[in-house]
Amino acid sequence: MKRDVIGQYKLPVEVRFCSRCTVSNQRPRISFDENGVCSACNFSDSKKNGINWESRHKELEVLCDKHRKNNGEYDVIVPCSGGKDGSYVAHQLKYEYGMNPLTVTWAPLKATQIGRQNLDAFIASGFDHVLGTPNTEIARKLANLSFRHLGDPFQPFIYGQSNFPLHMAVKYKVPLIMYGENGEVEYGGDMKNAYRPTRDIQDHDKHYFSGMPPEFWQEHGISLKDLYPFMAPGFKEIKSNKTEIHFYSYYKYWDPQENFYYCKENTGFTPNPERSQGTYSKYASLDDEIDGFHYYLAYIKFGLGRATSDSAHEIRDEKITRAEGAALVKRYDHEFPSRYYDIFLEYCDITDAEVHDVIDSWRSDHLWHKVDGEWTLKHAVWYESDQPK
Amino acid sequence: MGNLRIIARLDIKGPNLIKGIHLEGLRVIGPPSEYALRYYKQGADELIYMDCVASLYGRNHLADIVRTATKDIFVPITVGGGIRSVEDALDLLRAGADKVAVNTAATSNPELLSELAERFGSQCLVLSIEAKQVGVDKWEAYIENGRERTGLDVIEWVERGVELGAGEILLTSVDREGTRQGFDYNLIRLVSDAISVPVIASGGMGRPEDIVPAVCQGHADAVAIADLLHYKRATIGEVREVAKREGFTVRTYG
Repeated sequence: MKRDVIGQYKLPVEVRFCSRCTVSNQRPRISFDENGVCSACNFSDSKKNGINWESRHKELEVLCDKHRKNNGEYDVIVPCSGGKDGSYVAHQLKYEYGMNPLTVTWAPLKATQIGRQNLDAFIASGFDHVLGTPNTEIARKLANLSFRHLGDPFQPFIYGQSNFPLHMAVKYKVPLIMYGENGEVEYGGDMKNAYRPTRDIQDHDKHYFSGMPPEFWQEHGISLKDLYPFMAPGFKEIKSNKTEIHFYSYYKYWDPQENFYYCKENTGFTPNPERSQGTYSKYASLDDEIDGFHYYLAYIKFGLGRATSDSAHEIRDEKITRAEGAALVKRYDHEFPSRYYDIFLEYCDITDAEVHDVIDSWRSDHLWHKVDGEWTLKHAVWYESDQPK
Repeated sequence: MGNLRIIARLDIKGPNLIKGIHLEGLRVIGPPSEYALRYYKQGADELIYMDCVASLYGRNHLADIVRTATKDIFVPITVGGGIRSVEDALDLLRAGADKVAVNTAATSNPELLSELAERFGSQCLVLSIEAKQVGVDKWEAYIENGRERTGLDVIEWVERGVELGAGEILLTSVDREGTRQGFDYNLIRLVSDAISVPVIASGGMGRPEDIVPAVCQGHADAVAIADLLHYKRATIGEVREVAKREGFTVRTYG
């Protein structure tokens, strides 16, 4: 079976790469300007030049003053895996802004040792914390189903990552939820939230759930009660709690590498002993043995893997040049997450042949062709013809 | 032992001097030439340049940087990163390097060490080791700026490397690198005592006093300093003062 990748993700048929970074117009919801520059690069310019960070800092103080409780109760929910980004946000809010955060983690599908070690170190650095862990059997079924139907085994995690903090906000009567970066604007996507601090709950289905909320899986035999932990609280409950979702990246200049330095210093963060497959970094997204397959399928669907995302952000942050980014993409983007492949097969209860059937069903003709029997990208940022003149 | 050598280490990426933690999160520090000149003027005994993306590109970018440096820097310069052949080494030596350091290529082709030693002499050949602790008194050699494992045991690998002709070991502790927690003198001692050639200790120097255990307990012949100097938390001169106070013999300077 062949998937209609173009139709499903509304992708342009003609592939173009950003003239400044390594991303292409195949990233869903990204836009390009008349100079061939992507929305994320343009946003990065405004981060450096257009935005008055001093006044954003004051906005954050006003927000904190509005929500600060001073009666012992929690006054902000910070979703945090123990990685460098959420830990930075939580630590800043607690120790710079005097808030009383409840940090919450939606459990990885299959936690890595280093991920758990970092989470423990983070909690030990001075935080109250709640871990939400769904029934593993159901998470596995959902991983299997979402891999087969959406080409992404990571969907059950993404549900909880978005919805568990909402549950905690409602349960603890905390209206304010503070996320780290707005991935849509930092990495390329819908720009509607670029210049405001909040996001709409209604966007969840579109931006994070590929249009398929947890309830959808009832059609595939998962009961409502098994889906409950993955679902959002009732919209009425969210509203009556006056829940607001904010992004820290609106208030503070967002630089993932500097978050690493901050957390190394303040929350006991340690990078991975070796680089993650599919990219060169040792400090990003290192807590789940399954998430490599999420990134790999993005590489198949859009021709944009994990090294593309990492290098594009580092180019915008002026850590590396475009040429270096392209070399990194060439070297790592295509790499299959073999280290955790056996674990993945067992977790998803799926065979190697089935996995490859799914993968190949997402290879769109406008991106892939066979050269000497090998699947090859038709367009890559490191092909000479794609280089900007 | 001879003089304790105090060496400034400059990790280079593209056109920039950079610095990381555990060789990760590579911050752009500034133009290499400016920093190199400053360390020379402060009295560094040697400089080490490491191109940390050379293996990625499959070529070395340092020849130009070295050529510029040798115009006004007159202490021995070691250059490493991406050296895969006698020709690569020759390019760097012609550009003005005094020694070359090899890591990645030697782990997959150990004979490269004997080829280089035969051609240029062991005094010219540094084996660079990125050591990651994997157990009690056990370290694995990493390559590509601490990103890839090799499965090689550090002690066995340095012994082999010295047999093949390496004249010096640059020993970087990935666990300590950039952390300012002090040298891993246990690692340094186990390597130093296993071989007869000099060992340069690298990784973890947080204050000038950190050289003391590296030399006394670790038996290091030289220390390579980066973070401490780049962030201007101390000068080479201050490190030299500590060395003198401890009774280590150092080069007379100024």
